[in-house]
Amino acid sequence: MSMIDTNTLIEVQDLTIAYPMADGEVFRALKGISLEVARGQIVGVVGESGAGKSTIGKATLGLLDDNAVIETGGVRLDEARVSHFEEHMFADVRGKKVGYIYQNPMTALNPVLTIGEQIIEAITANTDKRGDAARAYAIELLEQAEVPLPEDRLDKYPHQLSGGLCQRIVFAIAVSAKPDLIIADEPTTALDVTVQKAVLDTLKRLAKRDNIAIILITHDMGVVAEMCDYVYVLRHGAMVEHGPTADLMQSPTQDYTRELMAAIPRIDRKVERFAVPGGLGNATDRQRAIDYLMGNKADRQTANGDEPLLQVRGLSKVFTTAATLVSAANSFRAVDDVNFDVYPGETLGIVGESGSGKSTVGRMILGLHTPEAGAEIVYRGRDVSSITSKKDRLEHCKSLQCIFQDPYSSLNPRMSAGENITHALKAHGTLGRKEADQLAGDLMELVGLPRASRRKMPHAFSGGERQRIGIARALSFRPDFIFCDEPTSALDVTVQAELLNLLKDLQDELGLTLLFVSHDLSVVRQMCDRVLVMKSGQVVESGPCDKVLVDPDAEYTKGLLAAMPKFEFS
Amino acid sequence: MNKPEPTALQRFAKIFRGHPMAIAGLFGITFFILVAIFAPWIAPQNPYDQMQLDILDGLLPPGSTLGTGIVSILGTDALGRDILSAVMYGLRISLFVAFVAVLVGSGIGVILGLLAAQKRGWVETVIMRAVDLKISFPGILLALMLLAMFGTGVDKVIFALIIGAWASKARLVRAVALSEMKKEYIDAARLAGLSDWRIMTRFLLPNSISPVLVVLPMSISGAIGAEATLSFLGVGVPITEPSLGLLIANGNDYLLSGKWWISIFPGLVLVLMVLCINVVADRLRDHANPYLRGKD
Repeated sequence: MSMIDTNTLIEVQDLTIAYPMADGEVFRALKGISLEVARGQIVGVVGESGAGKSTIGKATLGLLDDNAVIETGGVRLDEARVSHFEEHMFADVRGKKVGYIYQNPMTALNPVLTIGEQIIEAITANTDKRGDAARAYAIELLEQAEVPLPEDRLDKYPHQLSGGLCQRIVFAIAVSAKPDLIIADEPTTALDVTVQKAVLDTLKRLAKRDNIAIILITHDMGVVAEMCDYVYVLRHGAMVEHGPTADLMQSPTQDYTRELMAAIPRIDRKVERFAVPGGLGNATDRQRAIDYLMGNKADRQTANGDEPLLQVRGLSKVFTTAATLVSAANSFRAVDDVNFDVYPGETLGIVGESGSGKSTVGRMILGLHTPEAGAEIVYRGRDVSSITSKKDRLEHCKSLQCIFQDPYSSLNPRMSAGENITHALKAHGTLGRKEADQLAGDLMELVGLPRASRRKMPHAFSGGERQRIGIARALSFRPDFIFCDEPTSALDVTVQAELLNLLKDLQDELGLTLLFVSHDLSVVRQMCDRVLVMKSGQVVESGPCDKVLVDPDAEYTKGLLAAMPKFEFS
Repeated sequence: MNKPEPTALQRFAKIFRGHPMAIAGLFGITFFILVAIFAPWIAPQNPYDQMQLDILDGLLPPGSTLGTGIVSILGTDALGRDILSAVMYGLRISLFVAFVAVLVGSGIGVILGLLAAQKRGWVETVIMRAVDLKISFPGILLALMLLAMFGTGVDKVIFALIIGAWASKARLVRAVALSEMKKEYIDAARLAGLSDWRIMTRFLLPNSISPVLVVLPMSISGAIGAEATLSFLGVGVPITEPSLGLLIANGNDYLLSGKWWISIFPGLVLVLMVLCINVVADRLRDHANPYLRGKD
């Protein structure tokens, strides 16, 4: 023990945790990590997926998988060596001394119990309050967690509340026993940006009031800047650097930390490219792919820059649920009279919270949803609904493509990467087997993946790599217009920066027109020329990004901007 | 880092490693199938050939020597048929009927289930109400009704068993395919202008089929049992091509007069075979269920 400090709550010393793998190799999730948290201190642990951040929290609570081996070091909590506890000894730690907050509040709460039952269960397990006292304490906790109408909420089920409210309830449960430490594992990643800030403020206030220390595990430097006193940066299980938040963010000493910072999309001004290292593929293969993609550009160049490529007028969509024995028919106006134009070569952004109808707009343009009568979607001067012949439909399909939100479900898991990219072209008879294989390889190089990996199945790729395959698939049709449906929302911030750079490169090189949907204003700021702000199916404001995201007119946009995590860039 | 993908055979071997019962079952199934395939070459006698049968050899106990000089290890029935040979040929009929019925029935069920999930609307309503209708009848009653209507024979039995096999598969596949339909790779396929048929066969089918493959062995053992029941009741296969069920029925009359071997040996083979298949099916099901993995 180097520092015998009565104020030290938790001390991780030279912790190495290894997992033996099926093939006899050993995977080290943590490699000699040391960190320290004082009472009442908020400490951030930052890194990409796979950095080993969550493993630290699990080791503290004895939640490591059965096959995990602690090779060196350990975790001390209040002088007790918790990393080497037997299972039964954790009863006094979990919930009582250490609270845990999970990433997704909707799955952390039990869907078949009411909020009240769950809070009171935690109260009776960890305190000596019972009956009415427990109920009163539950209401008090909800009030402190800033849950409106706490008494009514006790009788609600988790699915009846929003994600932000559920996370506040998880906070209330975590602080119920007045623990010394809360481990918060990506507590706001599953929430909309607009509620993220308020939820984090609540957590910070609760912690400061009761002098609870927090280990905040996150990949988001913006969150760290808002919350933490001290930061540890992890990569591949090893410590990169650590220091007080302000110092570390002002003057990082390691390249990796600088990359993490540079990867954060900034709201205050647009940068040309994120300063993250981007691997370019083999030059000849890339050029061949670009030649292929530009191949038919000449004969498609009918529209000039002044005429919109896409015109949308009076677009609406109503979703109806049929009447059942117990409920009447229900209809919900997801999109309400939306109008806009998209010009060739530009990027139009649509921002809004979940449920604002932004994805539905794109899906109607692509033809995946049918709009309500009266809507007009004109693409390259032709009303989409008037395209009836099979050949024209196919050409139209190819010209409008999509990059999907969830890289884990957007590829056919039973086809290799290359087959995913070129299956349709082969099916239509556009390409023979050999040409298709060649093109798949070229496109993989174009999106920054080695051509040899085209034979691997989707599960062998990471989320970011899968998204690249999805981009290659969209490109294979030589589209003019690509609808990007929150393409980076499932990815780490550094991977996001790499992908956004890739999209910008491709757009410059191929002259693509993009419709970019996102809930993240700073991503839209970096990607788009113009932006529409949507709320409850309606466009509340539109205009150039430089205007709308800097000096908005609408109150709603102002609110969105104010909710962004503030972050001083050096 | 880059280790080669395991081959299909390696993956298959891994499912059974450490499960001696399942391995024994697998060997049992292989043995029975080989016997069924090679019965004409390895059976001591051709039980269908009336010329080889001698009524004087009738009802001999196990171990007797027949008039043709063959030693009848398992005894003979009333017609002088060698029980061992009859069981080998019976196995052939039983397995053939069960495999064909279940494979064809499941194929139909899978296609209907995929159609229901893909087309929704009235197509789904029609298919799924037909499934409900089928499932509301007791299986054996439905088969008896069909055989009473169309008469007996190997083809009729297969038909009756197909009618029994499709509905549960359709329901199973539809449930999986419905959740697959919501995934983005299906949207991507639609945007690529692919036909519904291709989306069904190349996208939906390979991603929805696994649960059906897992219940398939269980269905086959069920069909073997159902065919034996129908034949035992006298509405199944014809007397000239006896299956295991019919052999058991033949011996039924002699059971009380001490001629036990005519029924018992075919019965034993039937039980053993169904047991083997079920043990293997259990293992496959446990393997497919991630919640049970590592706990068995």
